[in-house]
Amino acid sequence: MTRNAPPPADSGAVRSAGSSGSGSSGAGRPGFLWAVPAAVFFGLFAIVPLIMVAVLSFASWDGLSDPEFTGLDNWRTLLDDPVMIKSLWLSVLLTVLGVAVQTPLSILLGVWAAGHQRNRAVLSAIYFVPLLLSIAAVSVLWRAVLDPNLGVPAHATWLFGDGNLFGTQATAIGVLVFVSTWQFTPLHTLIYQGAARAVPPVLYQAAQIDGAGRVRQFFHITLPQLRNSIITSVILMVVGGLTTFDTVLILTQGGPGSDTTISAYYMYQKAFKSFDYGAASAIALLLVLVSTVISLIVVRLSGYDKMRSTMEGL
Amino acid sequence: MKQRARFSRTAVVGGAALALVLSLSGCGGGSDAADGDTIHVLVYGDAANKVEKELVATFNKTSKVKAVLDTIPGADYQAKLQTIINSKQAPDVFFNWGGGSIKPFVDAGLLLPLDPFIDKDPDLKAKFLPSVFNSAVVDGTSYGVPMRGTQPVLLFNNGKVLKKAGVEPPKTWDDLLAAVKALKVDGVTPIALGGGDRWPTLMWFEYLYDRIAGPELFQKALDGDKDAWASQDSRKALGKIRELVDAGAFGTNYDSVKFTDQGSPTLLATGRAGFELMGSWAYSTQQDAHPEFAKSDLGYSAFPSVEGGRGDQANVVGNTNNFYSVLKKTKHPQAVAAFLKLMYSDQFVKAQLSIGNLPTTTNTEGLLDTAASPEFAKFQYDMVKAAPAFQLSWDQAYPQAAATAMYQSLQQFFNGSMDEDAFIKAMQALPTS
Amino acid sequence: MRKSRPNHLAGFGSLVWLLVVGLPLYVMLVATFQSRPDYAANGPLAFPEHFTLDNYVNDLNSGFAQYFLNTVIVTVCVVGIVVLLVPPLAYTIVRSRGRATTTVFRLFLLGLAIPSQAVIVPMFFVISEAGLYDNLIGVILPTAAFAMPVCALILTGVMRDITPDLYEAMTVDGASPRRVFFQLVLPLSRSGVSTIVVFSALQAWNGFLFPLVLTQSVETKVITLGLYDFQTERGVDTPGLLAAVVLSMLPILIVYLFARRALVQGLMGVGGK
Repeated sequence: MTRNAPPPADSGAVRSAGSSGSGSSGAGRPGFLWAVPAAVFFGLFAIVPLIMVAVLSFASWDGLSDPEFTGLDNWRTLLDDPVMIKSLWLSVLLTVLGVAVQTPLSILLGVWAAGHQRNRAVLSAIYFVPLLLSIAAVSVLWRAVLDPNLGVPAHATWLFGDGNLFGTQATAIGVLVFVSTWQFTPLHTLIYQGAARAVPPVLYQAAQIDGAGRVRQFFHITLPQLRNSIITSVILMVVGGLTTFDTVLILTQGGPGSDTTISAYYMYQKAFKSFDYGAASAIALLLVLVSTVISLIVVRLSGYDKMRSTMEGL
Repeated sequence: MKQRARFSRTAVVGGAALALVLSLSGCGGGSDAADGDTIHVLVYGDAANKVEKELVATFNKTSKVKAVLDTIPGADYQAKLQTIINSKQAPDVFFNWGGGSIKPFVDAGLLLPLDPFIDKDPDLKAKFLPSVFNSAVVDGTSYGVPMRGTQPVLLFNNGKVLKKAGVEPPKTWDDLLAAVKALKVDGVTPIALGGGDRWPTLMWFEYLYDRIAGPELFQKALDGDKDAWASQDSRKALGKIRELVDAGAFGTNYDSVKFTDQGSPTLLATGRAGFELMGSWAYSTQQDAHPEFAKSDLGYSAFPSVEGGRGDQANVVGNTNNFYSVLKKTKHPQAVAAFLKLMYSDQFVKAQLSIGNLPTTTNTEGLLDTAASPEFAKFQYDMVKAAPAFQLSWDQAYPQAAATAMYQSLQQFFNGSMDEDAFIKAMQALPTS
Repeated sequence: MRKSRPNHLAGFGSLVWLLVVGLPLYVMLVATFQSRPDYAANGPLAFPEHFTLDNYVNDLNSGFAQYFLNTVIVTVCVVGIVVLLVPPLAYTIVRSRGRATTTVFRLFLLGLAIPSQAVIVPMFFVISEAGLYDNLIGVILPTAAFAMPVCALILTGVMRDITPDLYEAMTVDGASPRRVFFQLVLPLSRSGVSTIVVFSALQAWNGFLFPLVLTQSVETKVITLGLYDFQTERGVDTPGLLAAVVLSMLPILIVYLFARRALVQGLMGVGGK
């Protein structure tokens, strides 16, 4: 039933909006009804569950008997839980490392690929391939490639030592960051490639006349021109980083110990390994709060909220 | 350009229409869940499903109420089971490990006591080895009938590698330490360990605690006596583990190796490791992946004894057995009872033996010759039958809520990132009920 | 001097990256054409001695075709829902002046910060109560919902770029919002629509957590889960697993080969202009 509701309502909305909308707020402006199907759909499958999460975070529930209201118990336990605190730090660390590694890399690759030389086009086509694989596929692939005895490390001991990549925290985090970089750099490269091509050539010509070298051109023309793309790309990375899940589940299972148990994975463990839905909901809510705060900070720092006006002015 | 615009709109509208049609027709399947004349049997999805399928077919030939077999792939089984067991999607009969794995369901009043079935058909209990049957008895009431087989943990070895290093399968702890030394000299990893999976690491704890303290210590801890973990015996067992790890028995990269992706079995099969402590299923894993090795060089022995330990050296740890339990809300208890009776039939036992499982029915002994590997089957059967105690895997004995934290502490103590006191504290903090 | 040939560094860098991208792909391909014992014996870098297609055949025989079909159904349905719902939404956000619309936009912005993991527990119970557990519809609906915020953001960005005079011109003629939408807004935001098609398709194709929690049987399994099960089943073989990985990327590879430009343009559009 819920499934059928949105699409027919959509066509209904289109029709009724057509008749009612034109009367009210200025000719040709769509009425609110146009947004209703999407809003209802999103509300039903994202906002309602989110509210349920908030409620559950104050309850104790194992899914077998009825939930029991326990006030702030879950929250108190969580704030005392060293694994929880650690998982938040790990989530942030993984995100920050991801942004720090991928951003320069994909800007350089993107600007490089924006050139129209033939070899660049060919290489770009190959660079694109990791994006064709799902996250699960990429994780599975790297798990096999990085097996200490049967994978590449056994044949490159000069680089990998004993190959105990999943056995220490630093290397396990390194693998997670590297694998997401491997997979998502193509996406961000494309974003920058598109943006770099959109930079008006006049700017470079002018700079060349001024005798600016490539490096200066890059820093004084290309980078500033990429500003909006950098913001979008970083936001995507932040959201992606905070919600990393498949890679952890398949590559490290949060280990060694709890050394790569990021919040999203810890929540999954609490919910579907320990069946403590209340605690899991509290973690989930915390995760939403953290990612909201981070998004807001990114938006503020970057002036993304102002970007709308610059775009409108164009 | 203009044309493209039109095309993309048609494509969009068409695509959307197609999506709707697909979602209405294509995705609408699976509505036979609500019908009245079936019982749903939910099992752990793996190679053994072949036998379960045959069994269901046999049952359906004579029964008016039809059985439907549903499977959930191994890794997700426990998680899925708990999420659906109190929902509309709950099965009638389901696979489990007995012990702690069904305790929460019993506590929530979801399971059907099987004693009335047993009263009507005493064979439902009498046809199974008592030590096995009892691990699905909760608070004096029977909640499970054994199915599939018992899975003791054995010390597997690569005969060729041992021979080359002049090593025999160890009978005592000192033998094992000596073997480790000799194998290291030979340049192989003495013991393969899939530490990335964590449960293989657990097996070392289970056996050492059993050999040193006997099964009583763990039982005490499970009953809520936190002091058990801090006892002298507990520290002694931890000391032995430390000793073995520090002797380089497992190499250095065991935490990056898994059993589940063939990492550790391959080390053993290709001669890069001498031993592997693993459940009896490792035998069929090797037969499947390295048939040559399994035929000629794969050896096995019981876990060595530890001098001065309280535990009987014939004790076994592992998965006691798998069980079928029944949900209270099943509409066809009579059909379920008839289905459970098949678990001790000759047909079932033979079929299990043929795929390498070892059922624990009283008629198994006479049928051992029909097993896929009679010698291995007999070894296991004798071992289990003679065992004064069969310790259920800790992760199955403890409630599910404890598993994650338990694995983490085990791994951290093992690889040295957590000391003895911290480990004891972590184990004491595990929920026991 | 530096101006004319400064690109050795870039050239070198691009080759290093080629190696990073290419090596695992090489290992993957090479492994899939070997038998399991060969792979174990020769290591990941060796070229296959005895070329075999068995790994692929085995995978296809063990249900991968079904997983494909399921993934395609999920992807098509998710894209369908997103394409049906998001353009009118974005249009309203850009053009409507109502307060309710602003609230809705804020709601979707908030949605950007809701990780799908965060709602997985209640989602399970919502879907289960609706009788959609272990049903592809139960996967499609939440996946589409969680693809919407980013799609809405992308599309509003594109639609904002349509200059007000164009709207004026049409409304002076007395065009209804509906006509404006179909004759002006949609054609001019074509690139944006193809971007959200690509984005939502990728979301659906990559979907892991929702199928993991909301389905269980072979009939409803999607490729990502098939791979995961493959890896966690005991007795898995690496060449077979990697063959499955290759199979899982084939459909997208085909799309890539035939519609490379559309795909690339679509993805470039994620970043706006």
